Amino acid sequence: MTNLSIAPPNLPDRQIGRSLENPVPRDSWAGRVRPLLAFGRFEVGRLLRSWKFLAITIGFPVIFYMLFLGDHTAGKVVDGTVPWRIYLMVSMCSFGALVAALNAAGTRLSMERASGWARQLRITPIPAWSYVGTKIVASMLVVFPVIVLVEAVGAGFGDVRLAATTWIELTVLIWATSLPFAVLGVFIGFLVTTEAAFPVVTGLMFVLGYFGGLFTPVDQMPGSLQFVAHLVPSYHQVSLAIASLDGHTLALTHWLVLAGCVAVLGLAIVWKHRVEEARGLA
Amino acid sequence: MSSPVTALLGPLAISPSPRPVALSFQSVTHRYGSRVALDKLDLDVPLGEVLALLGPNGAGKSTTISALLGLVRPQEGRVEVLGGDPRQSVAAGRVGAMLQAASGIGLPPGVRVDEALGLVRRLYRRPAPRDQIVERANIGALLRRRTDRLSGGEAQRVRFAIAIAGDPEVVFLDEPTSAMDVESRQGFWRMMRAFGDEGRTVLFATHHLAEADEIADRVVVLNHGKVVADGPGATLKAAVATRRLRFIYDRPDRADFSDLEGLTEVEIRGTCVSIDSLDADATIRDLVSRGVPFRDLEVTGAGLEQAFVTLTGCRAVEADPSAIPTGCESAVAQVRHEP
Repeated sequence: MTNLSIAPPNLPDRQIGRSLENPVPRDSWAGRVRPLLAFGRFEVGRLLRSWKFLAITIGFPVIFYMLFLGDHTAGKVVDGTVPWRIYLMVSMCSFGALVAALNAAGTRLSMERASGWARQLRITPIPAWSYVGTKIVASMLVVFPVIVLVEAVGAGFGDVRLAATTWIELTVLIWATSLPFAVLGVFIGFLVTTEAAFPVVTGLMFVLGYFGGLFTPVDQMPGSLQFVAHLVPSYHQVSLAIASLDGHTLALTHWLVLAGCVAVLGLAIVWKHRVEEARGLA
Repeated sequence: MSSPVTALLGPLAISPSPRPVALSFQSVTHRYGSRVALDKLDLDVPLGEVLALLGPNGAGKSTTISALLGLVRPQEGRVEVLGGDPRQSVAAGRVGAMLQAASGIGLPPGVRVDEALGLVRRLYRRPAPRDQIVERANIGALLRRRTDRLSGGEAQRVRFAIAIAGDPEVVFLDEPTSAMDVESRQGFWRMMRAFGDEGRTVLFATHHLAEADEIADRVVVLNHGKVVADGPGATLKAAVATRRLRFIYDRPDRADFSDLEGLTEVEIRGTCVSIDSLDADATIRDLVSRGVPFRDLEVTGAGLEQAFVTLTGCRAVEADPSAIPTGCESAVAQVRHEP
């Protein structure tokens, strides 16, 4: 039979933690930021050490770039004025950002939510938004080197010659306009199950890539597809990048659509989170 | 649920403690859609108590813990942790928890154990010393291992380490031993009891009745979101007059025991029969009059399991290997050794 003795509860012989009468003083600025930096480092470190993640994010854009390079003859012009080799590099930068952002967040987030790790982090002192916030920041951080890598391929093999300041401008512009992809990756992680996450992410990579005109320039698409392209962030990202290279003013519409995507996806994440919280699942 | 047992428990329940209250539910009701998870729940847990929350699936155990962590906001009533809102305590790093993992292990894949622990420690302003956590949770040998290559029991130890990483005053554990074998479970409870003995408040949910009985200062039985019993494990058992009869019967047949006097439960394992009875004397008289050739008869006070069945009207959901009566095992062994 089991031992039936019930030990009397031991009284605390020392004060554990803080007393009830003295609420914890508000954290200093450093005290608030340091945990988030640790979390961010942890996330980026995990991504950069994942063999699978690196193979996909480096492999897809670079191999696609090489394939397209071999397939098209130089001297072709897109949209009347843009040389194909420039358009191609910008498209592949956009594709690289899309692949990196979706793969960084989508699959992992879905898995972490299912396994309870996301909840475990929610019951630590970091604020509730910081889980999503850190995921988006981590995605953006891994997107940056992918853009630079594709540009290096462009400079090395793609016959792209630009002034140093133009390179920097282009990089920053493509990087900043990749935010919708980072938010989309997080939303997918919230939306789909672990089993569905990988196929959904992979599917979206190609769907958003194709309809955004990354594989075939939008002006060479049939009219109805051109309309669809105008709803895809990739198209607006590439348009902005091309406009900046041409010295054109950056059309407000493109910015508005990209900002709208971020806003809609952000709200969708908040909505999904609320629904799950109400069900006791979050 | 109102059973005569509940009424009987009233005067037996321990008197209110003079110690300050660590956790408190005041008439808390919570529904998921139309399903009531907590039904006007009232519960006070004094500082430094180790409390077991017992109940079948869907009794409200996980919702209780979620409410204490601020993960669930009950629609009615008030939940307080350390004298304030649950979310304040979480934000201040004063509570830790080991939650139930819906799937997987509840740890981030692709990192080493020491990295995951290191991260969680950095999220707290005043974490417990690393070596202390490692020693308490007994994870020294696991630190360099990858989280996705741990066994169920190892992963639970790591999750316990993560639960106590912030040096919490209060710890909640939602069925922490569900993935463990008997040995790891015993080690785990020693670990947790030692943690409670430092004066920290511990609340754990479990299906394992023997564990609740052995480890906790106090056992609260929940059913349909309400407290149906509350007291030290021994009190619960005393409240239920059930006795367990065990004997050897070479050709046991369930039909032999149908409508037996006082019988509530029959279990047959090989030649070993275990009968729970509300009136042991009458049951034995009935067995004799039926001419059942029993031998090696043993009558004991039934464990908390029977008290639980009586209180909630349902059986513990999970098979509990530790609940196999030990006397019975040795009896079986004896039989095997007979020529």
